[in-house]
Amino acid sequence: MPFTKFTNLDFDQIKESIKDYLRANSDFTGFDFEGSNFSVLIDTLAYNTYITAFNSNMIVNESFLDSATLRENVVSLARNIGYVPKSRNSSKATISFTVDAYGTSTPTMILKKGLVCVGDVSNTSYVFSILEDVQASTEDISFDSGGNTINARRAVFNNIEINQGTFLTKQFVFDGSLDQRFILNNSYIDTSSIKVYVKKENEVGLGIEYKLVDDIINVDGNSLIYLIQEVQDEKYELLFGDGLIGRKLQSGEIITVNYITTEGKNGNGASLFSFSGVITDDNESFLTTQPFTVTTESSSKNGSDIETLESIKYYAPRIYAAQNRAVTGRDYEAVIKKIYPDTESVSIVGGEELDPPEFGTVQISIKPKNGNFVSDFNKSRILSQLKQYSISGINQKIVDLKILYVELESYIYYDDSKVTTAKDLKSKVSNSLTNYANSLDVNRFGGRFRYSKLLRTIDSTDSAITSNITRIKIRRNLVALLNQFAQYELCFGNQFHVNKNGFNIKSTGFKIAEESDTVYLTDVPNSDLKTGTLSVVKNLSDGSVRVVSKSAGIVDYVKGEINLSTINIVSTSKPNNIIEIQAFPESNDVVGLKDLYLNLDISKSKINMIKDIISSGDEISGTVFTRDYYTSSYSNGNLIRE
Amino acid sequence: MAIRRISRAFKDISLSFEPHPITKDLPVLKNEAAIRRSVRNIVQTIPTEKFFNSLFGSDVRRSLFEFVDFGTASVISDQIQTSIENFEPRIDNLQVEVFPRPDHNEFEVTVIFDIIGQEFPTQEYSFLLEATR
Repeated sequence: MPFTKFTNLDFDQIKESIKDYLRANSDFTGFDFEGSNFSVLIDTLAYNTYITAFNSNMIVNESFLDSATLRENVVSLARNIGYVPKSRNSSKATISFTVDAYGTSTPTMILKKGLVCVGDVSNTSYVFSILEDVQASTEDISFDSGGNTINARRAVFNNIEINQGTFLTKQFVFDGSLDQRFILNNSYIDTSSIKVYVKKENEVGLGIEYKLVDDIINVDGNSLIYLIQEVQDEKYELLFGDGLIGRKLQSGEIITVNYITTEGKNGNGASLFSFSGVITDDNESFLTTQPFTVTTESSSKNGSDIETLESIKYYAPRIYAAQNRAVTGRDYEAVIKKIYPDTESVSIVGGEELDPPEFGTVQISIKPKNGNFVSDFNKSRILSQLKQYSISGINQKIVDLKILYVELESYIYYDDSKVTTAKDLKSKVSNSLTNYANSLDVNRFGGRFRYSKLLRTIDSTDSAITSNITRIKIRRNLVALLNQFAQYELCFGNQFHVNKNGFNIKSTGFKIAEESDTVYLTDVPNSDLKTGTLSVVKNLSDGSVRVVSKSAGIVDYVKGEINLSTINIVSTSKPNNIIEIQAFPESNDVVGLKDLYLNLDISKSKINMIKDIISSGDEISGTVFTRDYYTSSYSNGNLIRE
Repeated sequence: MAIRRISRAFKDISLSFEPHPITKDLPVLKNEAAIRRSVRNIVQTIPTEKFFNSLFGSDVRRSLFEFVDFGTASVISDQIQTSIENFEPRIDNLQVEVFPRPDHNEFEVTVIFDIIGQEFPTQEYSFLLEATR
């Protein structure tokens, strides 16, 4: 019998194949017994085959971008298609301070590059640095002390941007050889902070600054440029020109590299800073300054960690496919990620898909990694940089993302003989739900909340959980324009479940101009159950409901859309002028349609723990269970959103 | 599919690999010799030594540095008995006798067994267990 099973990766299967072969082709018979001498030989053969198969499998896996697991290999494969993975990004804060120095008449004060401040985040200190000297002119504040005039100067340093991290300098001397490598020997570098200067052997100062490029468009043999690539252990290597693409270095030239190594996103959130920097006069002599406090203009933010393997695998082929051109939706996704690295998710909607259509427009929503909204400054920066990539005549428009919240109302049955307290179990469930809420399933544009997956997540949290009944609500926050007549449109993008008696739409309270009591929104479906009328109602003290405005708008249950006609809202029960409006989705799987960003809101979800008296052994027949511990799978008929 | 041959004879190679002086064939262990060799292999293999079968073997080596007395002998006897029963299905009526020889710092082990389904006499096989370092 020929030996034909080449695909086994399991030691026992390989061994079995060898035994099968021997059984058919050999005089020997004792190999089936583990103690036999032959078994030793078979073990050796099988082990050898196993190791070879495993190694080949690993090698092949590591040779493709999709299956490679070692960062070095993923980065190297991405490099082949021209993709430079994003480095760590330092968290940035803006500070201002005023410095007084006695006994000097310097016209300027210089804040030296390097360490400037120390800031605290969750009781951990982080250092903040600047990359270049900052100069400020001084004013005379000389004063008289006991008949002597004391020279004193004051300088105001305004809006200094500081980067979280340690400032470092590295120098290389180019030895003219072809195999010299310029590797920055630190991990955790923020590559956007790298400044490269090249000078001749005996030249004073830093020399001429070289610029980083990521493509070779407009680069010739004299361009002062360098390229960067990630090498082993998250370190970076600088590459210089060869005389055809970029200026070639001359032997003996000195390369100075300044950069920052950063803690990435850990540095986000520092708002109190203490000064630790160095201030000199215009002759670069150290100045002793009077004590001063640092004012925080903006606390540290936008720090991020090095690009993950998943992200590299996702974006590298897309950037390559986009070929630095923004034509299709996928191109935009790739290009925006490139020009605004803080992007977590992007939604692109062509104008022709909008309602009403806006031809020649591309509507872009961006969810940044930190926070929900992109600042106006960043929006205009993204738009202007996008122009380099997009087709002429197409207008891009960045709109703020619309968040569609999914809320749960979960009743979890547990076997109390398997838990210490129900509270512990509840916090466990809450943790696993939070993990699910943070997963990429939901947290993105075009994300989908999968009901069955969620039920499984709850059930598999702990062996004590016997079952769960979970109801789903979808919510959007309406930001009211106070004391103005305005119309509102809220799109949920998911079909609503319709109960013909109404109460499908619920809201938190608000007040309108012509009514002193708190009012709420509710709906009355039309006979076709496809559309309905919105009403504004209020609760009377006896529990009955009075209609304040019978037709305040319309509901489209099929499209999942609420249109509130002209209304003057004067205040809202929730802070920040928010009215929370909820509906029940027709399908428990909720989809983030177009520019809707799906967010599973655990903080507003309700988790109720119920003892499973049948599993716990307290009851066998189920009569008490159905009487006292019963949970309906359907929602209540309350008027108000709670 | 492999052809399964029903055979009550056992044939194993010898790991000495010394060729037969005349035929130059590889030496072969047959029937009771093969089984005896197998028993010895099981006793002398240290658990975890065999790939992907960490339980195979017996842990007698661990006992060799204990006092050479009847207590240790009994432990060694149990270990040998258990390991052979677990990994050698071809034998029955297993008896393991371990005698301590304190003057020589060694145990004399005699394993007595019958071969299942064969007309061989009861096999007896002895060896010495001695701490070599």
